[in-house]
Formats: sequence, structure tokens, C-alpha cells
Amino acid sequence: MNVKDAVCPFCGCLCDDIEVEIEGDRLVGVTNACELGATKFLGGERLKSPIRREGKAWKEISYDEAIRYAADMLLDAERPLLYGWSGTHGEAQCVGVHMAELVRGVIDNTSSVCHGPSVLAIQEVGHPGCTLGVVKNRADLLIYWGSNPIDAHPRHLSRYTCYAEGFFLENAFRDRKVVVVDVRKTQTANIADEFVRVRPGGDYAILSALRTIVRGKTDTIPRMVAGVTRDQLIRVADLCLNAKFGAVYFGLGLTMIPGKYKNIRNAIELVTELNRHTKFTISAMRGHYNVYGSNEVNTWMTGYPFAIDFSRGIAFYNPGETTAVDVLARKECDAALIVGSDPAAHFPRRCIEHLAEIPVVQLDPYPNATTAFCKVQIPVAVTGVDAEGTAYRMDGVPIRTRKVLSSDYLSDEEVLSRMYALMQEALKR
Amino acid sequence: MRSIVYYVREFLRPEWLKKFFFVKTAPLVTPPYFKGYPTLTGKDCTGCFTCMMICPAPDAIAVLRRKEQWEPEVYPGHCIRCGLCVEACPEGVLASGRVTDLARRDATAFWHSFHLEVDESLCMRCGNCCVSCPINRQIDPQLAGTGTSTSDEVIMRVSSGRVRILHEEKCTGCKTCETQCPSGAIRVARMVEGVQFLDGVES
Repeated sequence: MNVKDAVCPFCGCLCDDIEVEIEGDRLVGVTNACELGATKFLGGERLKSPIRREGKAWKEISYDEAIRYAADMLLDAERPLLYGWSGTHGEAQCVGVHMAELVRGVIDNTSSVCHGPSVLAIQEVGHPGCTLGVVKNRADLLIYWGSNPIDAHPRHLSRYTCYAEGFFLENAFRDRKVVVVDVRKTQTANIADEFVRVRPGGDYAILSALRTIVRGKTDTIPRMVAGVTRDQLIRVADLCLNAKFGAVYFGLGLTMIPGKYKNIRNAIELVTELNRHTKFTISAMRGHYNVYGSNEVNTWMTGYPFAIDFSRGIAFYNPGETTAVDVLARKECDAALIVGSDPAAHFPRRCIEHLAEIPVVQLDPYPNATTAFCKVQIPVAVTGVDAEGTAYRMDGVPIRTRKVLSSDYLSDEEVLSRMYALMQEALKR
Repeated sequence: MRSIVYYVREFLRPEWLKKFFFVKTAPLVTPPYFKGYPTLTGKDCTGCFTCMMICPAPDAIAVLRRKEQWEPEVYPGHCIRCGLCVEACPEGVLASGRVTDLARRDATAFWHSFHLEVDESLCMRCGNCCVSCPINRQIDPQLAGTGTSTSDEVIMRVSSGRVRILHEEKCTGCKTCETQCPSGAIRVARMVEGVQFLDGVES
């Protein structure tokens, strides 16, 4: 049996044109998806049932036991951390926020280690953005800054920005120019019309130089800026000024370098500057398929997009203090619930060391690096494969992911709802 | 002192002075075998992409859609003026020097076929090759419009987790897939033979 128009639950592109081939209760073929999406759909060896650490061994336990353990752990904790949320659907994220409020914990999502700085910059100077459809139909200049979509969002160019036909363009990609700004020659740079190689950490200076050129003060620019020649900067600025519609997409190469959100602020201000001359937009290359949704859910429920601390009884937001990395590094939290992410694979050593000392429960279909730090892991259904739910594409468009397979696994929302119900009951008593 | 006198006498020889100031060189003329950048003859392009196939210089020629018509565009910075596109075009859309005259006089033509190969270990299945392919775009408008492949009639499509080559015979060898592949995973091997026809029969 073939299922058409399935939604790929891997990256922020959230491609909704996937065709999957199903034989019995197994997914055997994926059409139209990239390498990353196809691998996610086909899956690997999942955990059969919840597991609990007993000494040096794992013991299989029932869902009821596992959910009760997690509920008790969160209720007993003084300062629980609820982290992850980007790899699950919006409905589960809603339950997560309710739980955090109930136990007066800290709830944070993966954007605190990826596009958190972008959020901070947007809060300061706004977001001149648009949906991917607008870019596909109008953009004749694409700038990928500190991101390598071919590796991280493989279909971004072919489906949304460069190669697909544009309503206002006659010859699709031949009418478009691609500029790549990066510290190394990435695969995307191989197909770029202009590759700007920046000295690591020099992005802020390059952005300032481009703003200066756009402002018409070219003669104040030195011959070299952060490893880039003035001539090339002038060329890039001319490309921007002569474009009918330009779109900047930036990745962690801009957010997670010294300067952090100041880089994004400068990039947004360059785009604002360019909007005096032509049409320009800027958007973040969001990683997880629903990290944008996690920011949305948090914002409409608490007023803040990530790093929300409920210890005062009200939502409190202070990135750098209430972000997961900082809470862990200060050895502040005494229990952690991890949903749909793998902090052990990405966090600094000091945070992981603390994670190893506290009780941790993880909701994830597969064993991963965080499994090594868990007391209990609860396998759940994979959203978009054997569970459905709402996710937000990187441009803020909500898309309902589909359930293409039936399985006995509970979804994130079901597990969390049962956990939340137990916690409410316990607090009533 | 003596050597200075020697040099002055040497340079003031009337014969030398005359040659230096009044020598006559042949005026510069364009030789008959000169080939400029290919120009359009005004004949209708059918969009067969043979010119792109034969072109040995990367990104030197592209066949573009202009209003309701196909039209080859030559990029002078990339073109090496070899004239192969002019010779290969079956419709005589391009002209450069006396390339077409010679081909007609000698009754020569190019015969070609293509072989496509994808290196699975390099390919990210990003779909750039399938969506950028001008033949795929004609066969599957949905693919051209949204990057979503819907037809098995195309040359290649991302299917069952890899780029499957379905209709190699439809390939015109324009190498667009090759130039748009960021990983260098797809290769177009072109087999081109120069042939001559004698009294209507291939020799």
C-alpha cells in the first residue's frame, strides 16, 4: 500500500509531498524524501517497552510503571527541568508547558542551543521574514549564511528556494543567484554563484561592511575585512541591491559564534537597510521539524519562546539564567524530563556530568546518547510515522503530520497526558 | 668614449632610421577561419539541448525559455569559442565564423549517446539534479513547479530512498544535473562520434 502526501518529520523543511510504501506493518520504501528524511521514515531498532536502570542492567517495565516513576520524580523534585520538545508535536508540547507550571519547573527547548540567539535578536529588532512560498515564487537572490542546507536541509534548494519554478521568474534557477557565506567551502558553496569565505568569527564585521556599502560609504571600508576582499564585498552588495527580491537564510554558523545574537541583529539590520532599495527577507534555518512549533506553543501559553522558569509561580524568562545549559551547569536542577531531543550528544561536558547525577526520564523511540544517563526511558510513537500531530515549518506554517503506520506505541501526547493526570491527582490529595 | 661614438654612428644609419619610423606592416584583418562567440541566426530553437551537451566549457551555454520560445544564451566569460555548439545544433540556430559552411560542405555531423551514473555514497537525494533537469521539467510539470516528482516517465527521480535512473535514452546530455549537484554525485558520460555522410550514406 502506498500513502501519498505524508509529512517528513525530520528537519524544519517539513516536506509534505512524501510517498511511503507500506507492506503489512512495515514501512519499506520512501519516495521524494531526501537521505535524512528517508532514513527517519525507515527507522532503526526501537525500544520494545519502557526500561528502568537497575544497578548496571536495564529492566523492562510497563508503561504504567514508567509513567508513575516520571510523575513521582517530577513531583518530588525541587527544581525539575523539562527539556527538548523540538522533536515532538504541538499537542505534546502543550501538555509539557502545563506540567512545568504544575511542578514549578524550568521548561526549555532545543532552540536555547541553536536559534535562541535569533529569537533574542528578533525580539530586539523584529523579523522581516516571509514564508518559503514567497521566496520560491519571487526570490532572484538567495543568501545562505553560516548554513549548509545540502547537509542539514537537503531539499531546501530544490523544493523551496532555488530550483523549483517561480511564478514571477521565467527560468527558475537560471534566473536566481545563490550566495554562500561560510568559514569553509561547503557542498552548498559548490553550486553558489558567489562564495564568501569568512575568517571564523568575522561575520559581524562582514555584515557591518555590507551595511556600510549599502549606505554608500564604500570608501571607508579597508581593503580586507575578516579575510574577505573589499572587491568581493562590493560585488555581493551590488548583487543584493540589483536583486528584485532577496532572501537570507542563516544557520548556526551565525548564531553560535562569538557575538551570538548581535550577529543576527546585524544581519536583520542589513536586511532592513536593503529594504530601502529593494525587497529583502531574512529567516532562520530551523533544525528539528517542530522546533519552531515549540517556540510557538511556549509563546502562546507563557508569553516566552523558550527558557521559561515557573519557580516564582509565574512565567519568568531570562536566557543565560533559565536556559537548560545554565541550569545544568550550575547544578541547580534535581530531576530532568527529556522529550524529543538528545542533550547528552550536544551539551557541554559540565552539563552532562550533572545530568548523570540526577534522576532523568527520557521519552524517545530509540536508544541514544542520553539513554546512558537515564533512569527510565519510555519509547513513544514517532510523530509523522505512527503518530499524528501538528508541527510548524521553519517559516511558521503549521502542517498536520500524518500517521502512516499503526503500532502499539503510545504517542508523546498520550504518555505526557497520563503523566500529567497522575500529577494533578497526587497534588489534589 | 670610443664606444659611445660607435653607438651613435650605429643608430644614426639612414637605413635603420627609415625602417624604424616608416616600416609598413600588413593591416590587421580577421582571418577567414576566425570563430567569434556564437551568435543567433534567428532560426527557431527547439530546445533539444544538443548545444549544452557538446559544450566542453562549464557553464558556457544554457538554453533558456524566453516568453513562448527557447533560446540559447552564450556566456562570454565561460565560452572558449570552439564552435562545437554551432556545429552540433541540428536546427542551425547558432552561427560562428564558417563552422556551419564547412560542416555542410563536408557533410559531417555528431552522433551521440549518454550514460548517467549516481554515486550512492556521495548523493544526499536533495533532488537538485531531478528538479533542474530541463527534460524532467518538460515531462513532469509538477516536479518543475514544486520539486515533487509524480511521474515515472522522467529521466531520473528520487524514489525508494535513492536517485533512480529511469529513462537514460531521453537524456540530451546538457549536464545541468552535473553542474547543479553540490556533492559531485551524478555524472553524465557522453559518447560523441564525428560522422561523415557520402551521397546520403554514412561512411
